[in-house]
Amino acid sequence: MTTLCDQMRRGFDVLIRRCDAASFLMNVPSTWQNLAAQNLYVDELRRLGRFLVGLGGKSPTPAGLAEVMLEYDAVRASIRASRAYLSARQYAEAIAAFGRDGPDGIANYLPGSALLNSGVPLAIVGGPLMWSDFDIYDVVERSGGRIVLDATETGERGMCGPFDRRRIREDPLAELANAYFGGIQDASRRPNSELYRWLAHELAARAVRGIICRRYVWCDTWHAELQRLKEWTDLPVLDIDVAGNTEIERQRWQNRIRAFLETLT
Amino acid sequence: MRDIPEQITLRQWDQRYKQMQKAGIAQPGYGGRLSRHVEDGDQRLLKLRYDNSAAALRLWNFLLTEEDRLREARDRGKKIVGTMKDLGTVPVMAYSLDDVVAFYPDGAWWIPCVMELNAGLLSIADSLGIDESFCPVRAMLGAFVTGAHFPIPELLICSVGATCDDFSAIAQRLNSLGYPILWWEIPHRREREPGEESVKLPGGFSAPRCQVEFVKSELERLRRALEEFAGQRLSDEKLSAGIKKANQVRRLLAELRRLVFTARLCPMPALEMLIAEMLAIHFCSDREETIAVLKELLAEVKERVKSGTGLLSADAAKIFWVNPVADLQVMNLLEDCGGRICGTEYLFTHALDAIPRDLPPMEALARMALADPMVGSSADRAHRICQEIRRFDAEAVVISRIPGASHCALEGQIIGEIVQAELDVPVLEIEVPSLTDSIAQALRTRLEALVEAVRERRKR
Repeated sequence: MTTLCDQMRRGFDVLIRRCDAASFLMNVPSTWQNLAAQNLYVDELRRLGRFLVGLGGKSPTPAGLAEVMLEYDAVRASIRASRAYLSARQYAEAIAAFGRDGPDGIANYLPGSALLNSGVPLAIVGGPLMWSDFDIYDVVERSGGRIVLDATETGERGMCGPFDRRRIREDPLAELANAYFGGIQDASRRPNSELYRWLAHELAARAVRGIICRRYVWCDTWHAELQRLKEWTDLPVLDIDVAGNTEIERQRWQNRIRAFLETLT
Repeated sequence: MRDIPEQITLRQWDQRYKQMQKAGIAQPGYGGRLSRHVEDGDQRLLKLRYDNSAAALRLWNFLLTEEDRLREARDRGKKIVGTMKDLGTVPVMAYSLDDVVAFYPDGAWWIPCVMELNAGLLSIADSLGIDESFCPVRAMLGAFVTGAHFPIPELLICSVGATCDDFSAIAQRLNSLGYPILWWEIPHRREREPGEESVKLPGGFSAPRCQVEFVKSELERLRRALEEFAGQRLSDEKLSAGIKKANQVRRLLAELRRLVFTARLCPMPALEMLIAEMLAIHFCSDREETIAVLKELLAEVKERVKSGTGLLSADAAKIFWVNPVADLQVMNLLEDCGGRICGTEYLFTHALDAIPRDLPPMEALARMALADPMVGSSADRAHRICQEIRRFDAEAVVISRIPGASHCALEGQIIGEIVQAELDVPVLEIEVPSLTDSIAQALRTRLEALVEAVRERRKR
């Protein structure tokens, strides 16, 4: 787990009291504007490495690490390239499968040859979605929309940017940290101005016409961004707050999405 | 003028104040009738009960005139730093500089209580999208927007990382409204791992050397920013002198807490002790006066202990209190229910522990910052609470949740479990909103039940 929010930090506290499994809490800095924060992140990657070695893993050579990084980089590029040919759900599933199983995980997500560009282009922003939450993409499509920007934590926003091949050769670990720590923009960053810079670019590039902000009711980080997001963008923003997976709650957010899309079509 | 210690109302304090004036008891420049603060809108004062000593009057007046003091400091050309969230570290640095005053805008979290929601700060926070699902510290946003409760600081410094999400999110919202913030990182404190050097922290926690070095580097960054802001050098000598002063405050508080929490009869009520402890974090914007206020309070307590006088019943249940209360009146309520405070953990024990003097000052401050109970695990916190419960012989624990505060949702449960497992004392978890009037009866019932449980256990 990581230190990025109270729920994870305190969840870890509970975990280590209730469970004997080896566990690791990775300290992910909130600040990013100075080198010390990045160095802390690199140190934490090294510490994570030692933890994994302690569980029987092998410490990679720099060349070995670079090779794996390049392989992953290529797969990420292929996932990104397939976005326009996959449904939003398939795209999210491909990213999730890649995150869970690595490059082998995306074998089942072969894009079709036809561009999928029907429906009102929407963005979804917020924290992580679980696999069971992915029907939100279907609901959007059935309601006449299409998620063209998945800016949830588990979506495209959570994929790091492409690696710099020269820097991979020189210092793969530093480049790994640079791509993840420097390349993934999140609401929890302080300041989180880069998230808005990234959103501004992507929303414009994909001609987005509305934003769904999906957040957990207990997530202060995204909750606090909601009003700011509304003030920041000219686009309509729909707030979907979820607290569980009950049928009543599902009906509530499904109805809200349908109503939102009615106003856009 | 010395009388039998008792808790009196605001009206009674006014009468007593007149007697004090007649008796020629000197008051500091900010002294005066307590009820004058009600005229400024501090309505909650009408419902509290206060210790009747001159020392307590001085404490209250000192607290309630902080805004005037800050504005006066600005008028006199002093520079004002708003330090946020770290609760005790950055002010030690800021007060080491000449003509710099530091305070916590976070303190606005008590305004909705003290002004009984009449300031409208929470409504402003609501309008900014920070609703009641956040901790009452959201009142800080309203205080910035209105500019009516403290002068807007020229420099804002906020710790983030292993701090609570509520505050981090609210501070980011403040930043988005156009208030520049200098962020600094406080990592989640962890145990050392094989091959790492362990460093002992004030209060008994420990951390790996690399974390201390990291925090030190962050504080060095703040030192440069403060130097630039103040236009003067913040040398190690100045810092050492600042630490010495801070330790003077901490020593006074340590003695005060020891005496109050262990005396046979309670020599100072919970409410005044809460206020006194709060002085440690930023000296209520006047370090020298904080020392003077605490000295007088300590002298009063010593006198009461020596003469065997005090308040409350001698068999009051000895309660250890965890987390600060958003409604000050709850401190009175506990005493009404037959309890007394014997030990506290108000989330800033690192501001009460002595800062090491045998180390370079930045190293000492880094260790202090890492000793913050909030930046470590809940188990760390719980173990320290257990130590303090043993030290003060407390008989029960109240864990007071802060509404909306996301860290409270789980940590109270963990702390409760550990305390019960280690010490087998009753633990009560309650939630205290900014105004408890509507739930006062329910709170009373629960606190009375806890006190009753303590008394029953004494019969075993």
